[in-house]
Amino acid sequence: MSSVVSSEATAATRRGTQIVAQGFRWQHAEREQPAISGLDVQISAGQKVLLVGPSGAGKSTLLHALAGLLEVDESEQISGQLLIDGSDAFAREHPVGLMQQDPETQVVQSRVADDVAFGAENLAIDPQIIRQRIPEALEAVGLGMLPMDHRTQELSGGQKQRLALAGILAMQPGLMLLDEPTANVDPEGIRPLRDAVLNAAQLSGATLIVVEHRLDAWAEHMDRVIVLEPGGGVAHDLDPQRLFDDQELRAELSQAGLWVPNYQLELTAAQTNPQEQLLEAHDLISARTASSARTQKVNLKVRAGTATVIRGENGAGKSTLALTLGGLLESVAGELQATESLANGLGNSPFSWKAGALIARIGSVFQEPEHQFVTQSVCEELAFAPLRAKASGGQELKYDAQQVDARVDSLLARLGLQHLADANPFTLSGGEKRRLSVGTVLAAAPEVLILDEPTFGQDANTWRELASLLVEQLHLGTAIIAVTHDEHLVRVLNAQEIHLSAPSDQAPAKTRGPVLDAPVGDSWLAKINPLAKLGAVAAATLPLITTLDWLSALVIIVATLLVFPLAGLSPARFFKRAWPLLIAGVVAAWGIALVGQDSGEVYAQLGIFSITEGSVQGGIATGLRAFALALPCILLLVSTNPSDLGGALSQQLRVPHRFVLGALAGMRLLGLMVEEFSTLGLARRARGVGNFGTFTQRIGAKLGQCLALLVQALRRAGRLAVTMEAKGFGIGPRTWMRTATFSAKDAAVLLVGLLLGALAVGAAMMAGTYNLVWG
Amino acid sequence: MNQAGAKQRTGWRVVDIVTASVIAVASGVIFWAWSAGYGLFSLAFVAFPPASALLTGVWLFPAVLGALIIRKPGAALYCEMLAAVIEALLGSHYGLTVLISGFVQGLGAELVFAAVRYRKWNLSVSLLAGLFSGLFAGISEAYIMAYYVEYTPALKIFHVIATGISGLIVAGLLSWLATRGLAKTGALSALASRRAHLETGKLAAK
Repeated sequence: MSSVVSSEATAATRRGTQIVAQGFRWQHAEREQPAISGLDVQISAGQKVLLVGPSGAGKSTLLHALAGLLEVDESEQISGQLLIDGSDAFAREHPVGLMQQDPETQVVQSRVADDVAFGAENLAIDPQIIRQRIPEALEAVGLGMLPMDHRTQELSGGQKQRLALAGILAMQPGLMLLDEPTANVDPEGIRPLRDAVLNAAQLSGATLIVVEHRLDAWAEHMDRVIVLEPGGGVAHDLDPQRLFDDQELRAELSQAGLWVPNYQLELTAAQTNPQEQLLEAHDLISARTASSARTQKVNLKVRAGTATVIRGENGAGKSTLALTLGGLLESVAGELQATESLANGLGNSPFSWKAGALIARIGSVFQEPEHQFVTQSVCEELAFAPLRAKASGGQELKYDAQQVDARVDSLLARLGLQHLADANPFTLSGGEKRRLSVGTVLAAAPEVLILDEPTFGQDANTWRELASLLVEQLHLGTAIIAVTHDEHLVRVLNAQEIHLSAPSDQAPAKTRGPVLDAPVGDSWLAKINPLAKLGAVAAATLPLITTLDWLSALVIIVATLLVFPLAGLSPARFFKRAWPLLIAGVVAAWGIALVGQDSGEVYAQLGIFSITEGSVQGGIATGLRAFALALPCILLLVSTNPSDLGGALSQQLRVPHRFVLGALAGMRLLGLMVEEFSTLGLARRARGVGNFGTFTQRIGAKLGQCLALLVQALRRAGRLAVTMEAKGFGIGPRTWMRTATFSAKDAAVLLVGLLLGALAVGAAMMAGTYNLVWG
Repeated sequence: MNQAGAKQRTGWRVVDIVTASVIAVASGVIFWAWSAGYGLFSLAFVAFPPASALLTGVWLFPAVLGALIIRKPGAALYCEMLAAVIEALLGSHYGLTVLISGFVQGLGAELVFAAVRYRKWNLSVSLLAGLFSGLFAGISEAYIMAYYVEYTPALKIFHVIATGISGLIVAGLLSWLATRGLAKTGALSALASRRAHLETGKLAAK
């Protein structure tokens, strides 16, 4: 395990840096209060510091300042000093590693080795040295077993965080900053991640600063705890042991929302009083889509006034089951039946209910609150569901306007959000968003309330408020179903548990939707320089733009089919890729046959259109040309990894690397966004946004879903940009761990492409079919 | 100070590049979902294929939206071209020619923003950018790339007008509304457009 230290014998670089803050003050350009002021602290080299404080105490701001990522627009924003080994942190003279909480945006590249190398490449370290550091860094974080070309998208959240840590190690920073590294990681992933961090600090000797609100995992391993106060400096600076012993301190921190070690619950468990049955699942099997993994059979009875907790390992389909119970997904097999008392005049399958009827009966709270926000203010958000909720029979409204106002007012008061009634829901704090998202669903008073990981990542204060709200609902006779890992919550809700294990006979779930970086295999074409392939495809196809004739198109189509074995494509796989193109070709041909220029024999007359010999020939040529333009691209796509193409573009064609790598980093998020788009559709149905209704309503609903996707995309972009900047991206020239080369074979491929293009056009000219489109 | 100010207005920061990339990718997802739901309209187009030009705007919005959000020279061009690459990777119908289309469409919008020297981001400029993006797309498809070489002259003109209108509404108007909506959520807080919802447009919708 000591490989990182041993192979890099330059001991001078392998030590931590010292940090000194003197009267440091920082204010965001658009805020009235400083985030940090009067900060005086000294952290010696190699120390391990736990940095805590209530939200708004400037913890993240301080980490960003130390990483040199704060932008200084105006001089009055900043005063005092913040020094790393004696030089200004803003000058970024020393490499600093930073990890944030969202695993998806801590990874930048699509292959494991590329991601580890990314930061070191940005620091312009010799590729030879980077290639040595990659396996060492992966070993140090416990990911030594991963193949170098493993797709980063297939890692779990905890593994993604450890991969990001390996990338930080490969930069050999003297300071490592971790901003709530475990907040978005499942409980089983926390320990390995924590151990990887401690091991990395040990091996590198780097100074370590960890911000966390769950102190259990960290407290006993740290040298020092620093507590910040909102808008100010250091409130406490103490020995970690006092987090266990000092009752006064524990009470103070707990009050500030922190989970102190060995925290004891103050809430008493709910008194459950089972009433009538509402839902029954019989041998129920759920799946996200027809082609994705299925859950085990589930048998379950849900009674009013009781709580049920769904537990189980990752990949068992807990969320999928919750979506099915919530009437948002259709069951694959078995039955889910609502009793007459819940259905209240509707059919007994919740999936068949329209959105307005569903939300009045079963409410679903999604894990990410922002997925369910559909309006511009807190007030409208709370009124949204009751305005649409349908009562018995699913026709008449459940509430009149006055009742809606009353419900909104009482919920605002209950949730403590009165002062935010007009605020945009997206601008609330994390805890406020969580409370609001539960409130919006409660607003339609559903008899069954389903929550997916409601307490995940929440601070202790939000936790207490949520738990008391849910207990209150139980006492009112609501049935609660929760997917959770949270032991405390299970106890407080006094819940029955069902355990879902992963179906053993199935391969692990694959990413849904389109994949841009599918493995390219090791075919002959896969080893050719991407630019040579791109050039060949361009040279072969672009001449076709000048002519509309069947012969030149046919030459390219035949030549492409002959080359397919070189790309290792079987006819079946080829057809799977090519059929949309075939259909497009046929549609194009039909369009021209219908409206194209008429000449010769008339075959048919359809209203104002006529199909003639001339228009049919034009149609066939158009269809073939469309097919011939597209087909060679399949060769390029199946044999080329986008990252390699990007590397070649940047190294060999001098395309600016910031744009190439920025584009690649964005493209890595494609699969994730496709998934998010479908989740958004379900989350919005759970709020009462229907997928039925008039044409305009449906278009409106779709546009809203697109906007919601953009909000999530922009949030991710912001975090990804911070990650990339922290890894030294864009500050100067960089090196490339994978060096692009151009060999004789590559030149031959390019030449073949050129010849093919010439052959196609030449053949058409010789045969007299060449038909210049601008003629 | 002036120089530094000017640099900040025109130079691309890392967050600008990453945001523009992610907007293009999100647009790719929207194209993808859009093509999946395309069946809704396709019946109409089997009856009269040239009408499909009215939907071209959907393929143009990344140009205008990207420029309105990033507010940097080249944003329209970059977003539209990257969106076209994604479209190609997802199995587009047009092969490498999407790169040329992407360039032409992005250029139409980019020229409008350049004409106002990247200083105005209001509704009229946005509508104009959408219109030009559509016209460029239509002219290129009908006369330069000649996808519709078999169309009669009247149909070619119809095609150009239809793509222009589509660009104006979908790329111009919807992008402007979307930018305001996004600014309200605080999702643009790190970008030059963070106050877009507070800027008054002459034809402000709300």
